[in-house]
Amino acid sequence: MTRDTRARRALPPGSSRLLLASPLLLAACEGRQSVLVDGGADARILTDLFVVMLVGAVVLWFGMNGLFYWATRRSPAPHSQRVANWLVVLGGILFPTVTLGALLVYGLTLMPELRATGDGPVIRVTGEQWWWRVEYEREDGSTVTTANEIRLPAGERSTFLLDSKKVIHSFWVPSLGGKMDMFPGRVTEMTLGPEKPGIYRGQCAEFCGESHAWMAFEAEVMEPDAFEAWLDAEAEPAAAPATPEAGRGAALFLTQGCGACHTVRGTPAMGRVGPDLTHVGARHSLAAGRLGTGVEDFARWVANPGAWKPGAEMPAYDHLSDAQIGAIAAYLEGLE
Amino acid sequence: MTDRQIPAGDLMAEGVYPPTEEMLNEPVPEEVQKRQKENLRKAWKTPDGWRYWTAVNNSEVGAWYTMTAFVFMLIAGVMALLMRLQLWVPENDLISADMFNQLFTMHGSAMMFLFAVPMFEAISILILPAFLGARDMPFPRLSAYGYWAFLIGGIFVIGSILFSAAPKAGWFMYPPLATIELGIGSDIWLLGLSFIEIASIAAAVELIVGALKCRPPGMRVNVMPLYAWYVLVVGGMILFAFPPLIAGDFLFELERSFDWPFFDHTRGGDPMLWQHLFWIFGHPEVYIIFLPSIAIAAMIVPTVARRPILGYSWIVLSAVGTGFLSFGLWVHHMYTTGLPNISLGFFSAASEAVVIPTGIQLFAFVATLIAGRVKMTLPMLWIAGALAIFTAGGLTGVMVAVAPFDWQVHDTYFIVAHLHYTLFGGMVFPVIAGVYYFFPFFRKKMLSERLGRWAFWLIFTGFNVTFLPMHLTGLLGMPRRVYTYPGGLGIDWLNQISTVGAFVIAAGFAIFAWDIVRPKKDQPQIARNPWGGGTLEWSHEIPETKWGVRSIPHITTRYPLWDQPKLVERMDAGRYYLPDAEEGYRETIVTSVIDARPIQVQRVTGPAYITIMAAAFTGGAFIFPTFHLYTPAIICAAFAVVSIIYWLWTTTARPPEKDMKDVGLGLSLPTYAAGPQAVGWWAVWITMLGDATAFASLVFGVFFYWTSNTAFPPPGAEHASGLFVALATAAFALSWALTRGARSLNRAGRVGLARAALAAAPLLTLSGMGGFILSVLDLDPTSHVYPAMMWALMVWVVAHGIAGTIMQLYCLAGSLFGKLTPRYDADLWNVTLFWHFLGLTALVTGAMIGLVPRMM
Amino acid sequence: MDRDDHDREPQPQPHGDEREFSEERESLWRIAFAPTIWAFHFIISYAAVSVYCFKFGALFDMNTLRFALIAMTALMLAAIAWIGWRAFLRWDVRDTGEFTNPEGSAEDRHQFLGHAGFLLAIVSFIGVVYDTLPLILLGSCR
Repeated sequence: MTRDTRARRALPPGSSRLLLASPLLLAACEGRQSVLVDGGADARILTDLFVVMLVGAVVLWFGMNGLFYWATRRSPAPHSQRVANWLVVLGGILFPTVTLGALLVYGLTLMPELRATGDGPVIRVTGEQWWWRVEYEREDGSTVTTANEIRLPAGERSTFLLDSKKVIHSFWVPSLGGKMDMFPGRVTEMTLGPEKPGIYRGQCAEFCGESHAWMAFEAEVMEPDAFEAWLDAEAEPAAAPATPEAGRGAALFLTQGCGACHTVRGTPAMGRVGPDLTHVGARHSLAAGRLGTGVEDFARWVANPGAWKPGAEMPAYDHLSDAQIGAIAAYLEGLE
Repeated sequence: MTDRQIPAGDLMAEGVYPPTEEMLNEPVPEEVQKRQKENLRKAWKTPDGWRYWTAVNNSEVGAWYTMTAFVFMLIAGVMALLMRLQLWVPENDLISADMFNQLFTMHGSAMMFLFAVPMFEAISILILPAFLGARDMPFPRLSAYGYWAFLIGGIFVIGSILFSAAPKAGWFMYPPLATIELGIGSDIWLLGLSFIEIASIAAAVELIVGALKCRPPGMRVNVMPLYAWYVLVVGGMILFAFPPLIAGDFLFELERSFDWPFFDHTRGGDPMLWQHLFWIFGHPEVYIIFLPSIAIAAMIVPTVARRPILGYSWIVLSAVGTGFLSFGLWVHHMYTTGLPNISLGFFSAASEAVVIPTGIQLFAFVATLIAGRVKMTLPMLWIAGALAIFTAGGLTGVMVAVAPFDWQVHDTYFIVAHLHYTLFGGMVFPVIAGVYYFFPFFRKKMLSERLGRWAFWLIFTGFNVTFLPMHLTGLLGMPRRVYTYPGGLGIDWLNQISTVGAFVIAAGFAIFAWDIVRPKKDQPQIARNPWGGGTLEWSHEIPETKWGVRSIPHITTRYPLWDQPKLVERMDAGRYYLPDAEEGYRETIVTSVIDARPIQVQRVTGPAYITIMAAAFTGGAFIFPTFHLYTPAIICAAFAVVSIIYWLWTTTARPPEKDMKDVGLGLSLPTYAAGPQAVGWWAVWITMLGDATAFASLVFGVFFYWTSNTAFPPPGAEHASGLFVALATAAFALSWALTRGARSLNRAGRVGLARAALAAAPLLTLSGMGGFILSVLDLDPTSHVYPAMMWALMVWVVAHGIAGTIMQLYCLAGSLFGKLTPRYDADLWNVTLFWHFLGLTALVTGAMIGLVPRMM
Repeated sequence: MDRDDHDREPQPQPHGDEREFSEERESLWRIAFAPTIWAFHFIISYAAVSVYCFKFGALFDMNTLRFALIAMTALMLAAIAWIGWRAFLRWDVRDTGEFTNPEGSAEDRHQFLGHAGFLLAIVSFIGVVYDTLPLILLGSCR
């Protein structure tokens, strides 16, 4: 099953409130990366804010331009200068002072809520060029490492400790809430409170180099029980290869030196340079949202990562035969 | 003291002012008029043939400047078209990721640095003197120098993309991405654009002095054209906004070239410092672009409404208010960097507050139209389009000023849409309106009404087709600066609409460009004042004359062509001031700042090669370091200094052949000025204000590291040698005192002592420089940001010390060769003023290197 | 106190350089007093909060800082109001009934600068009030 179909099936329902706002916004409900889909309280608060501002803006736009049209086209003859003077006082100072003041208060009072302290899992996300290192800090002090995918329990407020290896990135899941930049050498913190289970897409929002366009991830919101079960499974070492082909792939994986960069827990592969692959076959996407996680996706990627992600550090393994690449792909796809 | 001993700079205007009605009614004999015209024609003649390029007159330089900026805009526009083609379908492979990143970096950089800001300066150079009834800008050679610097730097920067060597870290050049980027792209951006920024500041200095000191007699601040108010405000903003970026560039290039770790967190640096410095420049920049364009609208609207602008004071308020508030917005580009909510709140508040003055300007225009008898014209159509687009951009601006909403849309296509709405509505449309409105002023032919309407509707429609959908594209999650996107996000069709729209815009621009360049030989010249405007630029004669105004009028109203009935007739007859150029010099009148009382006749400079040479060598000094060729760079810098000294020595502050000149209407004005009376002194003052701002940004950097870094200076770090710092500071202070003393001694006629002081001062300066160098010599600037910052301060003060030494020697030479005498001492006034700033810089540097770190 | 003495033209006046410069600078700066206060208010609030949150958060309670800054705000608002009132008097609209001051006379120039200064004081006042809202509504370094 490709990433796309999985994701589409799990689409959260669009908010009916939005349907009233504008027919154009109907289209918004299709998006997996849409600001206007509210997967949680944060996104809903911000959508409400947007709708209020949008309505105000449309009214004001027509007011201002209507006045201009009237004065230049409908009625170009001179009108009372007194009226014109009052227009400057009312329209220029009084009205904006009150409305902008109100909007400012509205915006400011939202901020503490959106940056409330988390009560759910603490997740450390590190931006790399161009993928995400993800580490769950468990209550017993242990850490579960994964990559390029975030899973969150619904109904809890998760805390993200954001960091970066080399350049500035920005962590953003539009349907769950706002974004936060990731700096090398400084940890920034944000919290998100997802509510509706589903798969949402996140993407790096700060330009981070050649393949900035391909630095994405899937964020799956799960029921709390399912989340706990998933995290327990994720903490386990990798599954042994299930087929002879996968077994050959596992051997090739080690002999080709993949372990120098990647970790597959339970095997000698202990590299920390690239993404952890222990359960890569169970993820929604490969290479930070670039490809799905079918066998053919793994094969395409291993053969030539640069074709999918220009500038990627991983070298092409095009010197391997198709069968060899197929074996590695089968092994990786089996790492569920 | 007898009359002969009064210093020439202290001479005053003599005779009658203001002129009486009888004097103005007195006719000028025909033969006198004829002779005067002949003299003026000779003095203001534009050189022929190849020598044409040595012209420095504002009408020539302004035209080149405008056209060059326009061509850079077209090139940057083509880059945008290429990007739109790449985004036509998901996962397109038309353009590589690397090239796409170069394209958007250059598109933004070129539009900002090679089009928007230079265009303001170009248009202002072209028309400000005409608004003010002046013959030229106060420093024509400085305009020419700025233009050549802009041309050389612009070609260098924009040409790099042909070699695929262009910068590719975004127009904001965030480190560490831009600092670790291999290749010379980042260096091209830093050095090439620093070079252009310096040209921009030069133009700003000239425009401020022009608006303050070159107004016609009687044009007090409450009657000057609104454009001049905007020029003042924008010039002031450039002065405070560009220097932080130059300081940032300085640190950035030191990191790129010498590995001083200002933005490297592993050695105590912090990439956030760049973000602060860049956006302290970057947000005022937006208003630096917007205000002059609104100023054009402020000139067009009264003509269309056929009445004076309503709410003149309100518009002045909004210009000044916007100028201030725009410096409190910079962090709204950094809402997602994790700063405390309360800090973001301050910037959110200021970002909402700035809407108020902006709104007032728009309401003042609408009110003027309501109160006037509106006659719709083609320029007004463009203004209407500008309003429609700008209000939409302004309203989305109000949205993104609310920090939490910005957390969602920051760095998405929503912002791309927002910023293009503000810049097209706030800059492109008003500027095109200005081109249609002023084209008959500077080319004496009309542009085509039909083509103009076609261009308008194509650009207006194309613009909205391109950018309106982008709001939704952004809300659907498309980040900025992505070279492609996956299918299935619901943004494919939106991107296709945008791409189609982009080509419609391009078609409109093609028509507009054709209208400008198409041959107009068969077209009749316009009648004088074709739009029926009320301001002075429309007094210019048909057919064109190079002298600008035939005589410089006495102005007592805001719309003199409407309110002073016999004005044009008297100007033409040469009834007003400076109707003649009997000595063959180019001259204009300098007036006082507030009330425009005539103070002096300023001789302005004529055609010269030296400005081109100076610009070329300055260019070399900036461009060679890009390729790490430091020796040729230093040679170029030396030649640039020599060229500039030659230029100043031969043309500025020379003792005149006579002290007073009859300028007509019974008024005699001094021909020489020194100190605060002189335009040169003002130029130094204003330049040094900008320089001090850049220095303040470096000092801010030290405190920034202290707050952001838990260990600054790092525990146990070696400090600069206190003894050397103290000695160096003392040497600078003494040198400063000697310079100031030399000025008094020279005025008092004690020339020998003054020369002795001017000879001793450079030695002290040199030892001060040596002291600062020795004080930090033991620190390793590559080891940590703390020693690097100390070195940077040292480099700054030493570089200024070199300039200060040259100036002291320049005055000494002036005294020895008779250019500087007790009566003619303008150079020494200017140098003393420079030294006031340098002295303070050295004192602060001493404190920052020697004292402050020990207390942190 | 006013600049009207300039109107004793046509007689050329003593051009003491310093004197003219300072006089001119003062009257153009005068309209910028109120926005300058806004700028100081802005910078002081921002710098104080930044330095507190990054350096001294542990030393004392944030509320102390907030109240100090709000007290500063009150002082600055009073100063702006006073400047605005002085400028309003210079504008002298109640006596002259003249709103626009379009004449090239010293009196109109004087009143115009009063009017512009008055309006700038209003905008600066609003700006300072806006900038104080975060201090009132938000109370932590988060």
